Amino acid sequence: MAYSEVEEVKGEVGNFAIKVRKKARYVEEDKCIGCGQCAEKCPTRVADEYNMGMGKRKAIYKYFPQGIPSVFTIDPLHCRTIQGKKCGICKKVCEAKAINFEQKDKVVDLNVGAIILAIGYEVFDPSVIEPYGYKRIPNVITSIEFERLLSATGPTAGHLERPSDMAMRDEIKSLERRIAGLKGTIKIFEERYGKSTEEFYRQYKAGELGEEKDYKEWTKAHEIMPEVGKKLEELKSKEPAFHTAKSIAFVQCTGSRDLRFNFWCCTYGCMHSVKEAICAREHEPEMQSTIFYMDLRAHGKGFEEYCVRGAREYGIQLVRARVAEITKGEDSKPLVWYEDRVTKKVERRPFDLVVLATACVPSKGIEKLSQMIGFKLDEAGFVKTDPASHMDTMDTTVKGIFVCGCAQGPMDIPDSVSQASAAASRAAEAIKQYG
Amino acid sequence: MSKDVLVIGGGIAGMQASLDLADQNIKVHLVERLTSIGGKMAQLDKTFPTNDCAM
Repeated sequence: MAYSEVEEVKGEVGNFAIKVRKKARYVEEDKCIGCGQCAEKCPTRVADEYNMGMGKRKAIYKYFPQGIPSVFTIDPLHCRTIQGKKCGICKKVCEAKAINFEQKDKVVDLNVGAIILAIGYEVFDPSVIEPYGYKRIPNVITSIEFERLLSATGPTAGHLERPSDMAMRDEIKSLERRIAGLKGTIKIFEERYGKSTEEFYRQYKAGELGEEKDYKEWTKAHEIMPEVGKKLEELKSKEPAFHTAKSIAFVQCTGSRDLRFNFWCCTYGCMHSVKEAICAREHEPEMQSTIFYMDLRAHGKGFEEYCVRGAREYGIQLVRARVAEITKGEDSKPLVWYEDRVTKKVERRPFDLVVLATACVPSKGIEKLSQMIGFKLDEAGFVKTDPASHMDTMDTTVKGIFVCGCAQGPMDIPDSVSQASAAASRAAEAIKQYG
Repeated sequence: MSKDVLVIGGGIAGMQASLDLADQNIKVHLVERLTSIGGKMAQLDKTFPTNDCAM
């Protein structure tokens, strides 16, 4: 059941009564064939969460192209029809007749013998680390944002464009649209009143015409035009200087192993950055990546070899330093300040992009869920595993409820998969005994 | 009494646990908050240390 949330859990091992709220998609799941006609024609563009807000989606959308179930969903906060405005285009174009603006949330009752918590984690928001300037300094991004830039299904189709250039390109496009709109408005008035804008403007300013609404709009469009045009020209003159990223700094342990924020290690950050640096070089052969790290934790099978290969074959420079500050530099290149342990001096270096390897923090809904179900959390806020077993098993503090993956603590994909299999085995044992 | 299992979260861990249970002929209810399953891993381009596609 996708697009659903657990609302109530009662009972005990072998016999839990669950209420699940199945949210209204405003699209009939059994009718939608996922063709995407609706999204193509939908006029409302919204920042796309899947691409970390760097791309745009429509108000009727699929979370990502390969998403399962392969059906579309209407975002009620942005849909014009649901917000009481005139639209309904998706309903007109849908050949499967799947759109249903009248759909309501449904509450489904379930009876289960065991529960597995696989609620994952949240990426730490680094904007609270003031000296790193995330969201304030252009081209300082998080590792998951960089992941979307690398991806062929991402906002840049895998080209390593700098976010500052992307933002400027968006502004150019929106100014072009604005000019086209103004031109359209002016043309309508010229045809309606059968005179040129210059003639009208002269007459209007001379007070020969009245103060009608049309005249005011016409004057406004005419007066704004040069201003918008000038702004557009100014931005367009900068366009030849746009370039893809050729140098990247990775700042490790952003918000991790830091008593001000999260004391724990995210466990995958080092390897994640090495991987991103390797992939970046594959996208851009001239790429120079530098990883600023505290200590490189390459603890899994094949990890050490991967780091060595990254440094030897992909030219990754590993610098042992804690980045102190990131400041604005020329050409939207952030400056990274750090203490060089070789020269024993404070150094600064400009980079095209700075990628913050952000911490792994408990998921937002974990506290609400723990109060609802009654399982305990550990001091970091992840799900506590049962200390009575004296082993790191998948048992929570409530019998019949198990945990796996990053809900239990930070871990990488292979660990999540093996924990999932372990939790599944524990759940199967529980229902055999009690269910 | 019930022999079904509820899995909360449709990321890589939730999907793996659900598949393992289903392979043992146990009925699983998988609940996911977002409109598609896949979780954080679906946002990744590639995975270490093999550079396999994450999708």
